[in-house]
Amino acid sequence: MDTFLILLVNGLADASLIFLMAAGLSIILGMMGVLNFAHGTMFLWGGYTSVWIMARTGSFWLGALGAVAVGALMGLVFERLFVRPAYGKVTAQILITLGLMIVFTDLARLLWGATPLPALRPAVLDGMVAVGGVRIAEYRIFLIIIGVLVAIGIHALINRTRIGMVMRAGVQSPEMVQALGIDISRYFTLVFAGGAALAALGGALYVPLVGSVWSGMGMENQILAFIVVVVGGMGSFIGTAAGSLLLGLMGTFVAWFFPPAAVVANVLLMAVVLVWKPAGLFGLEGK
Amino acid sequence: MLASLQSRLYDLVRRDTFLPRFHFLAIGLLGIMLLLLPQLTGLVLVGLFTRIFVLAVFGMSYDLLRGYAGIINLGHALFFGGGTYIAGIVFANYGTSPTMLGLAVLGTTAYAMLAALLMGKIAFRRGNVVACAMITLALGEIVRQIAESWRAVTHGADGLTFPIPMMFRDRVALYYYALAFMVIMMLALRQFIMSPTGRVLLAIRENEQRAIFLGYNTASYKLVALQVAGVVCGWSGVMFALTSRFANTELLTVQQTLNALLVTIVGGTGTLYGAIVGTAFVQLAQHTLLGLRGVHLIFERWLLFFGAIYVFVVLFMPTGIVGLYQRLISHWLKPVKPR
Repeated sequence: MDTFLILLVNGLADASLIFLMAAGLSIILGMMGVLNFAHGTMFLWGGYTSVWIMARTGSFWLGALGAVAVGALMGLVFERLFVRPAYGKVTAQILITLGLMIVFTDLARLLWGATPLPALRPAVLDGMVAVGGVRIAEYRIFLIIIGVLVAIGIHALINRTRIGMVMRAGVQSPEMVQALGIDISRYFTLVFAGGAALAALGGALYVPLVGSVWSGMGMENQILAFIVVVVGGMGSFIGTAAGSLLLGLMGTFVAWFFPPAAVVANVLLMAVVLVWKPAGLFGLEGK
Repeated sequence: MLASLQSRLYDLVRRDTFLPRFHFLAIGLLGIMLLLLPQLTGLVLVGLFTRIFVLAVFGMSYDLLRGYAGIINLGHALFFGGGTYIAGIVFANYGTSPTMLGLAVLGTTAYAMLAALLMGKIAFRRGNVVACAMITLALGEIVRQIAESWRAVTHGADGLTFPIPMMFRDRVALYYYALAFMVIMMLALRQFIMSPTGRVLLAIRENEQRAIFLGYNTASYKLVALQVAGVVCGWSGVMFALTSRFANTELLTVQQTLNALLVTIVGGTGTLYGAIVGTAFVQLAQHTLLGLRGVHLIFERWLLFFGAIYVFVVLFMPTGIVGLYQRLISHWLKPVKPR
């Protein structure tokens, strides 16, 4: 039972991080039809930025804030300069964002070196807390809370605000939105930058959990986010949340009970879902 | 309607294969130069060109998917790296006799066919480019992770060093083998594209919906393309094993797949020989830039240039070198129209 509780908390914390990354990816894909391969790069730069700022100011919170700012700025620039010229050309977008991923991953390597840098947890959250006789890292509980808050925030944004209304309409029919006199390209930029900021926040929160930041972590986590999007259904918010939970929990439990399968478990899950429901768990048919 | 579609396809294929008469002369000269190259230059260039020949086949196998079938496969490296690893494991553990080379080729063929079958069944299930790109990326990563963790056989991150058969140990001989390999593979792939199956693939690339309406089971045709591309790619991996005598998990990374993707884009997609032009350009550029590292350390950051070329070509030169050349030719020389 104790093991179960620890694994549950670990899995939920992982799910929160995966969700931060996958949410932006999924919304961008659903609304703009852009598969953003540079998404993991924002995650990577978020991680490095937070570590860099924390090393200079000593403040974890400033680091996280800086990461969000850098992520949003990168998203803004990428969308305006590189993604916009290729709207409607799916293949070109995939290729351009792949190119950006390569350049910015190597830039990170150039700036911060090829060897992993250590990343510390904030002092406030470094302790353990006893829950029902089990000691659990405070930081993981913090991650779960952040994940839930962000999920509620996005849900409210999509369903309760005018921006969300345009976003929902944009997923269904971008032409119709424009016909109604709304400049959808501004919303595209906003969504792209917002998604990038979330991914960067994910990176900033991820590095203290694993204790280091290295240049390959963007790609590794991007693949998890891709699997979540495929499993959950493209553009579906509920699907992304459910997919993140499924992947986070499954990852921890499989790694504990049957380590050899840890490598292939994610892909097996993806294969099973695709065979059973090709559009994903919560995907719209034909989307 | 079927007839008009067929004639349009015919035009497409003709345009791909159309070469003004002087091209034959140019290719003949190039061929003679390539045959004489080892007699004229040192081993550095011979090695570089051997690499170009082998990687060009890797690029062409990718072009079959990207340029003809319209599939973006981001796990293509699993065929290439798989071929290198299979050859390496066979040579390292069971000796380097010609029989073992045959075994390596057979093993690679079987592996590539099986992997392509599984990959196709999963990736084409959703039926769009985006899903296919994401799923193949994940599948490629899985193979890399398996190779990394299966240390007893692959030696993990350290890489696997192995001897190669006697007949390939001479660098100059290997150069000629690689050249022959590239020419044969190019002719074979060309033949495949000209076949009825190849034409259906072109139809799928141009308009998958219409191909479905015409009654073609497009998923099974794409699967055939993936099988062919996978096997050819696996063989190029075996050839690569002969040139490198070393295998590591780098060969299975997304970066390796992107190398093939880049050469097809730089050269020109949907042309096959574009992949050869692209590989030559990219390899020579890398060689030159690395030679400049004495001037400034920035030239060591090959990936930076790699990514920049990538974005530039996609944004400003979407038809690649071959496309640019064809535009210039048709603008200035006004070639005789086919038919």
